[in-house]
Amino acid sequence: MGFHTGLASESYDRQYSNKLLLGRIWTYAEPERKRILVILLTVLLQGGLGALPPVIVSKVLDEGIAGIPNHQALYLLTAVVILLELLGYLFYYINHRLLARVIADINRSLSTDAFAASMRQDMAFHDVFSSGKIVSRITTDTRDFSTLITLTMDVASNLVQSLVTAFILLTAEWHLALLFFLTIPVFILFVSLYRNLARRVSRQGMRAMANVNATIKETISGIAVAKNFRQEESIYAEFKHSNVVSFKTNLKRGLILSTVFPTTRTLGALATALLVYFGAISVTQGIITAGAWYLFILSTERFLLPILSITSYWTQVQTGLSAAERILALIDAEQTVIQTGDYQPGSYRGRIDFNHLWFSYSNGKPVLNDFCLHIREGENVAIVGHTGAGKTSIARLITRFYEFQSGELLIDGRDIRSYNLHALRQHMGLVTQVPFLFEGTVEDNIRFANPDITREQILALSSQIGGGEWLETFADGLDTRVGERGGQISMGQRQLVALLRVLAQNPSVFILDEATASIDPFTEKQIQTALNLILRQSTSVLIAHRLSTVQSADRIIVLREGDIIEEGTHSELLARGGHYSELYNTYFRHQSLDYVEQAGSS
Amino acid sequence: MGISEFSIPFRYKTSRSSPFTWLLSHTLHHWAVFLAALIGAIGNAAFAAIPAVQFGIVFTNLTSGAPDKAVFLRAALIITYTQIVRGLFQLMRNFGFESTAQLIERDVRDEFYISLLGKSMTFHALQSVGDLMARATNDIREVNFLFSPGINMVFGSLNFLFIPLVIGWEINPALLLTPVLFILSYFLSIAGYLKKLRPVTSRVRSSFGLMNSRLAEAIDGVETVKAAAQEENEIELFRQNIQAYRNVSVEQGDMEARFLPLLLLALAMGFGLLHALLLFQQGTIPLGNVIKYFSALALLSFPTNTSIHSYSQISLGIASARRLLSIMNTENNLDQNDSGFSQPLRGEVVFQDVSFSYDAHKTALRNISFRVHPGQTVAIVGQTGSGKTTLARLINRTYDPDKGLVLIDGVALPAWKLDTLRSQISIIEQDIFLFSKSIHDNIAFSKPGASRAEVESAAQKAQAHAFITALPEGYGTIIGERGVTLSGGQRQRIALARAFLTDPKILILDDSTSAIDSQTEDEIQRAIKAASEGRTTFIITHRLSQIRWADLIIVMRRGTISDIGTHADLMRSSASYRNIFTET
Repeated sequence: MGFHTGLASESYDRQYSNKLLLGRIWTYAEPERKRILVILLTVLLQGGLGALPPVIVSKVLDEGIAGIPNHQALYLLTAVVILLELLGYLFYYINHRLLARVIADINRSLSTDAFAASMRQDMAFHDVFSSGKIVSRITTDTRDFSTLITLTMDVASNLVQSLVTAFILLTAEWHLALLFFLTIPVFILFVSLYRNLARRVSRQGMRAMANVNATIKETISGIAVAKNFRQEESIYAEFKHSNVVSFKTNLKRGLILSTVFPTTRTLGALATALLVYFGAISVTQGIITAGAWYLFILSTERFLLPILSITSYWTQVQTGLSAAERILALIDAEQTVIQTGDYQPGSYRGRIDFNHLWFSYSNGKPVLNDFCLHIREGENVAIVGHTGAGKTSIARLITRFYEFQSGELLIDGRDIRSYNLHALRQHMGLVTQVPFLFEGTVEDNIRFANPDITREQILALSSQIGGGEWLETFADGLDTRVGERGGQISMGQRQLVALLRVLAQNPSVFILDEATASIDPFTEKQIQTALNLILRQSTSVLIAHRLSTVQSADRIIVLREGDIIEEGTHSELLARGGHYSELYNTYFRHQSLDYVEQAGSS
Repeated sequence: MGISEFSIPFRYKTSRSSPFTWLLSHTLHHWAVFLAALIGAIGNAAFAAIPAVQFGIVFTNLTSGAPDKAVFLRAALIITYTQIVRGLFQLMRNFGFESTAQLIERDVRDEFYISLLGKSMTFHALQSVGDLMARATNDIREVNFLFSPGINMVFGSLNFLFIPLVIGWEINPALLLTPVLFILSYFLSIAGYLKKLRPVTSRVRSSFGLMNSRLAEAIDGVETVKAAAQEENEIELFRQNIQAYRNVSVEQGDMEARFLPLLLLALAMGFGLLHALLLFQQGTIPLGNVIKYFSALALLSFPTNTSIHSYSQISLGIASARRLLSIMNTENNLDQNDSGFSQPLRGEVVFQDVSFSYDAHKTALRNISFRVHPGQTVAIVGQTGSGKTTLARLINRTYDPDKGLVLIDGVALPAWKLDTLRSQISIIEQDIFLFSKSIHDNIAFSKPGASRAEVESAAQKAQAHAFITALPEGYGTIIGERGVTLSGGQRQRIALARAFLTDPKILILDDSTSAIDSQTEDEIQRAIKAASEGRTTFIITHRLSQIRWADLIIVMRRGTISDIGTHADLMRSSASYRNIFTET
């Protein structure tokens, strides 16, 4: 346990004091307190009951030695033993059912809170912390934490069983009992030594396994290439080598790990042998009864095994606690985007003003300095510039994904901070550079931002693009499943669906971070049509990568290091021969038909 | 073995008719180790019973009125010796099962991999790498766990079921009653338990998978969720998913809570004790034997307690073996045709009324006919799903058409020796796969042992030399997760260099790269131009310039050729073609 990868610490992680941590854990356990109480009760009873049968048996034996017991006594005794065993089963049953509920419910509320927290976190957070790690906190860490609950109960039950057994042994014959307890340190020492060894070989094994998995992944992914060049044999040799390495490492690990039980068992048996001899001698000397002697023998395992397990649980307890700390850190992480008001317009017109705005990411390097930009209602503005010029930052401030440091950003003349965030974004359409779709049908995805739109309306919108022919390229039209992250449809199709999503939303402000991936020319034409439809009905900010998009804008803003250095239309700027024409020659020239015509002659 | 594209004989024969016989045939191959494990398990259980016997002897002696120290010492020594031997047996059992498990993991993976190598490109094109990867790692690991701890614990602990039988028989045959009844009801209840548990655990797994995948998706797409102001809906959806997961988890917990063998054990202990005591009361057996018997019954707790987990382990392992077999038993539909036609290609490609479908009710290609002369460059264009890639895959016989013929140099493809075809036809896939090795090794992959000079000249032709030498370690640079990340255009040029080394007569280039800047575009243009010289080249492309200057352009639409001809022809005849060459 406890060999998790990808659980490296993040900067939002914090050290909770033990008191605070337990307090926070308790807020999740608190609604379950009745169940937990019953569980603890059954654990206590179970532990107590578990220690009783040897006592009873030893009493019986002493009776038996004293003389032949009568029928009634025997039936009574058997009834007691069966009753005890049945009670034990009943407690197990109650305990297991309740524990399953407690774990599942705590797990549910903890991961729901963690998920909700990560959904509400602003983009500054998501840009820094990888989604994979957040997911593992929401699933793996919550599960590790639940193990902590099971573990606590197990430890409690083991502890009770050991204590009760110890008590019984002490009352039966304290000399022998103390002598017996002397063996404990030996066992604990052995277990801790072994634990260190096991941890080391396990870690080696895990590391080797990770390497082997990587090679297997590669050799499997490479099969197609190998077939293409008829190189199956060489790729097989590589696979075989890594498979054999894996075999050797894991065999070693397995063999070392499998020595523990035989060794502890044998040690336990040696303790029993000593007990048999010295105990029997004590019986002959009249120090203890024969029944008590047998009681000690029966209790060896009941006493030692719980102690052994408690020792080995400790690492898991630590794992569980640090898992709890990681989930809580995610839930408690602070947001940076803060709204000052709750203005909820039905819709807005889409005028955008940046007044002397200053913005930098958390690392401190300024992106926008004293930035001013005024976008009229309904205007289509394309922003061009080299990577790092600040194009995306402008878009992300308008969508309120990031907080700026000073100056003003106004939507329809009102401070963007005074809006209700939900209402603000409801009238904003965004298409990201890699358009993101969710598992579901094409229709589900188009409806994502506007759940109320009807299928007829969607079909009507679709038909505005090339007569709706694009829908026919899907196997089942609007009902085609797009797969996880839209992976089952092509990049061009994903872009079309994302644009349709914005059309269905009919936003006041449209923000496009244009994709750079290549699209087949037929689909590209349809994307252009969809784009033009959106541009007609909203204020648009376009981070343009396509020549055709730049050309369709009302105004082009040329950015360099956060400053607007030129603006105008495509032909005006090109004629001026400034930074724009340099950008054109770097990024857009090869998209022009002139370039296509020249390509054949070079 | 059936038909195969490529065959390496696996070291020994296995039966693939069912997961059980398959695993058995692997086990039998390692019979010596497995036998040692079984002997260890039996020895372990047999010696485990000895302390109980000795307790009885000592007790009888203690209560006999004339206790004898020598008896105690003898008992203690017997316990010591036998338990050390038992420890050794247990070690042998554990080592045996562990080795069997690891050996079988190694061999099963080997066999699985060889089987993958033998599958056709059709198979690999349709099968996701992630899925195969999961089978080759996780599922094979489950097969390992089936042996250790699975069978190890189950077989090891089942032996303990028989000790009460032996000891009971020895003391008094009537005492067989309790253990026999217990054993019968034990097996019945385990069978019932496993049968009921299987659907529940599979639902637990699927509901977790559903929750997890939507969760990961929502966090990956958080920007889209926020922009559409859909956070609350996503949280609600998550709440529903986790509630479903919570409910099945509780259901599984309830099922485990009802685990009957525990109840049976309780009853067996009680009735066994009563039975022995009654016999004692009647004077049939001495009190010492009551102890012996009760100690033996206590051993029944091993098979009862371990079974909660171990049986699930075995059932998981069988399920995994079934998943592996389902891949290995997939029929291959192409054969190597080793005695087929073999000679250097000229590069003429003819399609005669070809139709093809991946599955029965959806046709991917319909009535395709065209002729390409040696050395021509053909651009295949059309929207996604129009059949471009499928068409290209028929050329190197990745698939065989359902109807019609594909001929190269006038000879139908099935008549060619597959090796001859594939070695002279090269495909550069849309998703270019490069190994996590040096750039040199990646280029030389197609021709093992190629010299540095050959590799460099290929890279030069592919316009890759300049950017490779600009890397800090040049041709020695390691690519991939553990090394340098290359852009799509750079990967494509390395793949081109890889193809140049084998000098194929027909090159199929599935080109979906896009150049972010005009200079890179220039380089890609030059590389593709060099690639198409002296060979027949098919380019599936989005690049207008490639389409514009191809010798022949095939416009695909919904599985048919909607237009075919030169640029000039199509500008005249096709409105949609004209449309893409018009500025908006």
